[in-house]
Amino acid sequence: MKKAILYLNQFFGQVGGEDMAHIEPVFHDKPVGPGMAFQANFGEDVKITHTIVCGDNYMGSNTEDALKTIMAFLEDKEFDIFLAGPAFRAGRYGAACGHVCKAVQDKFGVTAITSMNDENPGVEMFKSQMYIFKGGASAAAMRQDVPKMAGFAKKILNGEPLLPAAEEGYFGRGIRKQIWLEPAAPATDRVMDMLLKKINGEPFVSELPIPKADRVPIADALTPEELSKSEVALVTSGGIVPVGNPDRIQSASATKWGAYDISEMEGLKSGEFFTIHAGYDPAAANEDPNRTVPVDVLREFEKEGKIGGIYKYFYSTVGTGTTQAEASRMGQEIAEGLIKDGIKAAILTST
Amino acid sequence: MKLKLGNFYVKEIVFGDKTEYKNGILTVNKQEALDVVNEDDHITSAELYIANPGDSIRMTPVKEAIEPRCRLAEGPLFPGATGEIIQAGDGTTHCLKDMSILVVGEHYGGFQDGLIDMSGEGAKYTGFSQLKNLVLVADTDEDFERTEQQKKNHALRWAGMRLAEYIGETVRDLEPEKSDVYETTPLLQRTEKENELPNVAIVLQPQSQMEESGYNGLVYGWDCNHMVPTLMDPCEVLDGAVISGSFMPCSSKWSTYSFQNFPMIRRLLDEHGKTINFVGVIMSNLNVALEQKERSALFVAQIAKSLGVDAAIVAEEGYGNPDADFIACIVALEDAGVKTIGLTNEATGRDGASQPLVSLDEKADAIVSCGNVSDLIELPPMETVLGELEALARDGNSGGWWDDELLGPSVRKDGSIIMENNGMFCGDQVVGWSTKTMAEF
Repeated sequence: MKKAILYLNQFFGQVGGEDMAHIEPVFHDKPVGPGMAFQANFGEDVKITHTIVCGDNYMGSNTEDALKTIMAFLEDKEFDIFLAGPAFRAGRYGAACGHVCKAVQDKFGVTAITSMNDENPGVEMFKSQMYIFKGGASAAAMRQDVPKMAGFAKKILNGEPLLPAAEEGYFGRGIRKQIWLEPAAPATDRVMDMLLKKINGEPFVSELPIPKADRVPIADALTPEELSKSEVALVTSGGIVPVGNPDRIQSASATKWGAYDISEMEGLKSGEFFTIHAGYDPAAANEDPNRTVPVDVLREFEKEGKIGGIYKYFYSTVGTGTTQAEASRMGQEIAEGLIKDGIKAAILTST
Repeated sequence: MKLKLGNFYVKEIVFGDKTEYKNGILTVNKQEALDVVNEDDHITSAELYIANPGDSIRMTPVKEAIEPRCRLAEGPLFPGATGEIIQAGDGTTHCLKDMSILVVGEHYGGFQDGLIDMSGEGAKYTGFSQLKNLVLVADTDEDFERTEQQKKNHALRWAGMRLAEYIGETVRDLEPEKSDVYETTPLLQRTEKENELPNVAIVLQPQSQMEESGYNGLVYGWDCNHMVPTLMDPCEVLDGAVISGSFMPCSSKWSTYSFQNFPMIRRLLDEHGKTINFVGVIMSNLNVALEQKERSALFVAQIAKSLGVDAAIVAEEGYGNPDADFIACIVALEDAGVKTIGLTNEATGRDGASQPLVSLDEKADAIVSCGNVSDLIELPPMETVLGELEALARDGNSGGWWDDELLGPSVRKDGSIIMENNGMFCGDQVVGWSTKTMAEF
């Protein structure tokens, strides 16, 4: 038998209405309120061992303390899945469910499931981080919303294959995976269908919805005067590393970056540095690594006074097959180091 | 042009005394076939195997797949690649169907090579698990690239094409069981009925990212990197005018077998005169420099405009850097007033949450997606490995790795593997076979 723990607010936890929204977390060792409906749906397979109840206002204004108390309570409990809500259209309750589910997932690695109406602001705040089922506007939808959550929880606990978000009924988490269409529909059929619809001005659905562009504005340019006093950093996605690749940066789909001291170097020597990037012809870069990371030319600029100097490390990773998410994480980590050392100019080279 | 592809459906491949095709049975005299392979002195060792659907066989590093065929007219099967340059696409070619010739490295693989499982869970990741395969496992003396991640695989790929020509000869004088006949007529002399239908073109973007020759797709033997987009007759592509390159991560790859059979082109030929007026193939490329990308997009849009194309399909062989060419081409076509459909795969990363294409544009509003290079696949051992399993982990295969902090090594001691879909041989079937799509979870 599997175990579940449920989170509710003061109203559904049967403490009281708005006048009791200030209460700190209280704990029950049995299902309470909607917990009875969950238990009825679970039958013998899953048992709701505990219910956590907290006032929406307390959670809203003392989030950290509330989560600390709840996490301390859960510390010695065994549970296989965590449930919160349904929160319907109640905004504070939705946010509370999101905060608690996220904390539980992060701390205990247990899957958390909640449910909210699409107008609940908690959806936008938390949908990429957990399963939020599409719920009704008010408690009148309890009878529809609880079985959806309970059914999905059972699927997860039984290790059954999970369908895409739209079919299961939760808000998509922005995670795209490949699936096999059933019945099988080859790409040729799908292309012809979309082509003829587009030609005829009929509605069609693209299989790759274009997400909103995520661009960072380029920083303001430095004046030549400022540049002559600034250290310039070199950052590359061209895979130049010391021979031997001490940080074991991957040759494709990289998740790691390295920083290498060049403070005593006039340039990068062939034989000391090479590229591990698997996505371009390495010959030119291996013959002269300065072609990818131009330390030699920047030293000349330094001598000529065009730049104030070269930052002591150059940063390197591999750009081929590397996902946008990993690239932006690595970029942020590298930028943090540069900003900490007061660097205002960086040259980013690719391949 | 009028291309007649005469089909012979192979029910079984066996080794025997005489290389011949009879009643669905392809018999191969192994020594004679190996002699054809060994015509190139660069081949240092070679062996042939048969891999059938359902066999407990894992193959890697797989480098190429070819359908054995025989051109009835004089001349090579792959003009400009295996012989002189002659017109492809006009005449009769006999084809051995339901089989392929697979070329597998005996030891070393690389970025561009792939993996095929003939049975079990792994079989669904590549279409070649559904074919009877004559498998050439061989090694070469191409020491300059032995331990390079990027390999031209020249000797092995050309050995595969020679083998395809040799096996194809078995059906030269036989009567095909069935034929596919494709006839294209001059664009300026089409009937009123054809001209009333929407004019549709398909833009192909085969892989051409390497500046050095030897790695890219070839059109009549010419490196796609060195061409500007041009109009081709669809029959030419189906008849050996284009051969696969040796560069792209493998699930995105279009093998020579893929070009020979190109289901999207065949579908457009079938639709011609019914729902569309198919004007042909605009053969483009996927180059690295921005200027080259812009030039190709400009040429494609110009050709489409000059022809009066109403709608187009753009298909790319690859992901990552080539996404820029793919999106640029779609945008250029849309800007020219051409209603465009994109045909591609995606790379959403280990967590599935990354941007699916490197370059995106709101004008690319109609895309058919054929799979995800980043999906993780875990597979049990197979009884037989053809090639060398370690190649998946050791040689920079795009879907494998030597070690990973979370996942451990790609190849485990017991022969089980964990890899990205990226390394599945022609797994995403962007040429039109794919029954995969992408969904949000």
